[in-house]
Amino acid sequence: MMRQINREWRFMLRQRYVMVILLCSFLVSTFSVTTGLSEVNAQRQTIERLKQADIIDRTKAQAKYDDAGSLAYYSFHLVYSEPSNLAFAALGERDVYPWKHRIRMLALEGQIYESDAQNAELAQAGKIDFAFVISVLSPFFLILLFHDLIASERASGRHNLLVTTAKSVYALWGARAAVRFGAIFLCVLLPFYIGAAISDAALGAVLQITLWCFLYFAFWTALSIYLGRNANSAPRIASALIGLWALFAFVIPILGDLTIEQSIQAPKGSDILLTQREAVNDAWDLPVETTMEAFVAKHPEYKNDTNVEGGFEWKWYYAFQQVGDQVAAPISKEYRAAAHKKHDLAGYVSFFAPPMLIQRKMAEIAQTDAVAAFEYEQNIRDFHKSLRLFYYPWLFRHDEFDKSQLNLMPQFEQTLINSKN
Amino acid sequence: MTNVNQNEVVIESQSITVKIQNSTILSDLNFKVAKGEIYALLGGNGAGKSSTLKTFLGFNTPTSGRAIIDGRDVSQSLDMARSKTAYLPENATLYPHLTAKENVEYFLSLADINKSLEDIEAAFERVALQKDAWERQLQTYSKGMRQKTAISLAILREAPIFLLDEPTSGLDPVAIDEFNFLVKELASSGSTILMVTHDVYGACQVANRIGLLRAGELVGEFEAQDNHRIDTEQVHAAFAQRQSS
Amino acid sequence: MSAQLNTVMSSVWYVAKDEWRYWLRSKVAIFVLAIGLVLTLSSVIKTAFTMHGLSHDRNAMQNLSEETFMEQPDRHPHRMVHYGHYAFRTPSPLSILDPGIDAYTGNSIFLEGHRQNSAMFADQKQGTGLTKLGNLSPAFIVQVLAPLLIILIGYSTMSRERESQTLAFLVAQGTSIYTLIMGKILALFLVVCLITLPLALSGMLAIFQGESLFIVLGFLFGYVFYLLVWVLIVVFLSTLVSKNNESFTALVFVWILLCIAMPRVASTTASVSSPSAGKLETDFAVIAALRKLGDGHNANDPAFTKLKDSLLKQYDVETVEELPINFRGAVASASEAELSKVLNQFAEQRMDTELEQTQIARRFGWLSPNVAIRSLSMITAGSSIETHHRFLRETEALRLDFVQSLNKAHTEKLSYIDDINRNNGEEAWQRARVSAQNWKMIEGFSFSADSASTRFSRSVGAFAQLFTWATILVVLIRLAGRREI
Repeated sequence: MMRQINREWRFMLRQRYVMVILLCSFLVSTFSVTTGLSEVNAQRQTIERLKQADIIDRTKAQAKYDDAGSLAYYSFHLVYSEPSNLAFAALGERDVYPWKHRIRMLALEGQIYESDAQNAELAQAGKIDFAFVISVLSPFFLILLFHDLIASERASGRHNLLVTTAKSVYALWGARAAVRFGAIFLCVLLPFYIGAAISDAALGAVLQITLWCFLYFAFWTALSIYLGRNANSAPRIASALIGLWALFAFVIPILGDLTIEQSIQAPKGSDILLTQREAVNDAWDLPVETTMEAFVAKHPEYKNDTNVEGGFEWKWYYAFQQVGDQVAAPISKEYRAAAHKKHDLAGYVSFFAPPMLIQRKMAEIAQTDAVAAFEYEQNIRDFHKSLRLFYYPWLFRHDEFDKSQLNLMPQFEQTLINSKN
Repeated sequence: MTNVNQNEVVIESQSITVKIQNSTILSDLNFKVAKGEIYALLGGNGAGKSSTLKTFLGFNTPTSGRAIIDGRDVSQSLDMARSKTAYLPENATLYPHLTAKENVEYFLSLADINKSLEDIEAAFERVALQKDAWERQLQTYSKGMRQKTAISLAILREAPIFLLDEPTSGLDPVAIDEFNFLVKELASSGSTILMVTHDVYGACQVANRIGLLRAGELVGEFEAQDNHRIDTEQVHAAFAQRQSS
Repeated sequence: MSAQLNTVMSSVWYVAKDEWRYWLRSKVAIFVLAIGLVLTLSSVIKTAFTMHGLSHDRNAMQNLSEETFMEQPDRHPHRMVHYGHYAFRTPSPLSILDPGIDAYTGNSIFLEGHRQNSAMFADQKQGTGLTKLGNLSPAFIVQVLAPLLIILIGYSTMSRERESQTLAFLVAQGTSIYTLIMGKILALFLVVCLITLPLALSGMLAIFQGESLFIVLGFLFGYVFYLLVWVLIVVFLSTLVSKNNESFTALVFVWILLCIAMPRVASTTASVSSPSAGKLETDFAVIAALRKLGDGHNANDPAFTKLKDSLLKQYDVETVEELPINFRGAVASASEAELSKVLNQFAEQRMDTELEQTQIARRFGWLSPNVAIRSLSMITAGSSIETHHRFLRETEALRLDFVQSLNKAHTEKLSYIDDINRNNGEEAWQRARVSAQNWKMIEGFSFSADSASTRFSRSVGAFAQLFTWATILVVLIRLAGRREI
């Protein structure tokens, strides 16, 4: 066995065209991993810088004001979603979904859709990350390597001699395919392993990605060899394989996308915002009681503290901020449910489109997919809630606000820890 | 049908019929080749020469009848049959980007045979491949040189049976002479040779027996009497007649 | 001389006709061409409908938002500053061929006082994520898939002649190899014309919708020229190698490099080599700058002492109460003007960085004609980042305009005494208002892309990239034609 592998290995090293493909795949993979690492590094550094600036800014605000209402109004809080250790390999949806916000205790629906998006023209071109190399480029390398595995020998008249000389079919085609497969697998995944080691990724996740890549590579290899087994014209087979690739990578996903978009009716994002704004703005003209009733429905513990003296009191202001969110909540929920539904349905479509499937799997393992973005959004909501629960007693109960209490203010990091449990 | 010593038969076609998609390629083909014999299947284009070889190599499965190599049915024990046969393809196509030595090493390894460098060089000398070419890539070779390389590979595999596909087509007269000499030497040292060709004169010069193939049927056999050459005129007349009929 | 030219022309035409006959008989080529036409046509129709729908929706929402604003009752003017309204970016007419970044940026901005909001609700965010690799827009089909179709049809165009040795035969007959090459180029060029025909039809529709003829012709010429570059690549590599399968492999390899890998390498390189800070980060600087300006809601903020002094001097009075205008309104107006300056300064910086990144990515057009046509197409269609920046600038002007006219009403039509007493009971609350007539000042906002000449001058670089590609390829083909038959 080793002898067969060894022979085919040395044989492969002499085939210039195979070596060119291997070299290209290695270079592309290295490029994707390197830029992925630097992208993730930049994101981490941005978060670090933001964290520091956030503390400084909040400290200044806290120094300037003394009452709970003003403190809540002028204090912003950084929320973020840190890239995982494997994010370098699958940047996923992080260029489309936002991963950092600064929020305050005002109506959340007005803040949560702010997106600090990256350059739209670059996002439109897409990024070349490792997941892209695997899902889109590697099928090409595999097609080029395997479609004429047998056809090229047949075309140059060596096929019969090879087959009759070989001790067994496996010793020849098996060993040859195994060596090429091993070589391309190594060329593409080696940069990834180095990247994973650098970024200290969990072994289990790395193994998972290895397994998925192996299955995906095996799929394209088997398909290429199977379709090419009896062929005389290599370009014809390659055309067919590339046609299949285009079908899997473009046609099926596009058709799936059209179908899903047609079948899911979702409210427009701007409707949420409009509803929430209207509610908040109208509240200024509505009787205080109307707002307070709606507020107390959610917070019965303050039902005896709703009396507002004079024209303006912070508790009224924050109550109608929350009521704004409450009014917009049904549309907002529907909007989110539609996004979830679309994501799930896209998952079914991807079963018929292997490149999409592997891309989704990798983003899932690297926690950079839409689900991770949804979770981050939930974290923001949870944190916002804990912030409100922190301030409400000071706002509604007229207790003297002691600024030392600010040390007990909820931390986003705590929300993250709670959500993991 | 010529008599052949049954104990020494190594290649035997037992009523082989091959049909591919309803067209009959070979029809009830019967012949035997004894050890040490050179048997030439002679026929025009489309007579079924290559199909016969392919059947003995196991690429065609007979619709009926059996292809026997060394007493065993090829379609039953394919690997055994292939290990006993050395096949020489029409253009002696080996890897052009490898040298003669590398090609031979590669194919020997494929057959799982260990040979020392001395053995390989001895084989090259035996087939008279000029020494200065041993380390050159095959893309610089003439067809005769490629054929010598392929034969040296067959010798090194120590396969007792040779299947040759149009071995002399495209060779110059000197190379044909060298080739004929080599084949006879192989036969005299105990190898059995089945070759297919459309070259009447070449076949008569080298073969012990000639089978005449037409439209997948064996229509005649000629044999050298008393170690003399087969009568070329006689075969040619039969060949020409059969072709025109 | 002209007779000789005529002979050459007719031989070129004959070669082209012969090539077409070969395709018609081989079926594969015709099948591929049919797929190409179906894809282009369906994408043209589908995108035209989608973009038309989007355009209609956004116009409707623009009107709705403005009407709701104007229908608000009598109020304190500053309430309306916070009430705000929306500006929608209607897609340019040529977006029906290249929607560009439309789905990747938000398409509406909420305009309100004291804040520059970002464009929210990019369509891509609420999408399925399935169109990451490509979508059914004519731009994508023609930029990425059409070259592949040309390769599948034409990879053997010269290598076939060499492999079957008809090339030697033809040349021995006295046909020049360049005549043959020109004929093959002509044959493939006819394929290009067929593929771009649906684009031309859709382009006419865009002219109907008010797009300039000049820019539509430039857009179509860009695409035809881009595909011509691919024809030259195909003919060049097919001439260079001796075997069909070598030509095929080489061309597919070049395609994946230029069309699939290079645009992404370009964008990745741009974002890594020139990272942009992001709005959140520059906002800290904005907040710091604003803190110096003082809070416009608080007329007693020490930051406004200077304004107070100059106003008192101007009207020759002792106290702000004696001023003929509402001091609170004056403060709001002055602070909004200052604030807008600061916000714009940072916004311009951010746009500059973004543009710089984009320029880095566009420079990859020298390495890949696909990158060149991408920028050419988006720029001329008016769906590039520049158009979005124009939208941001226009909305900021609109925002400042509406806020300041409300502040003017605040200053001139609401008495200072009523204003400061607004929280003293229901009656005072009612008195601190101005008439709803003042809300009628907002004019209908309708966004349009840059002028044709601006867009054209921006696309010159991309045109130059394509011309360079074509020139180099022509030289290479001449060299390849010299090799032995």
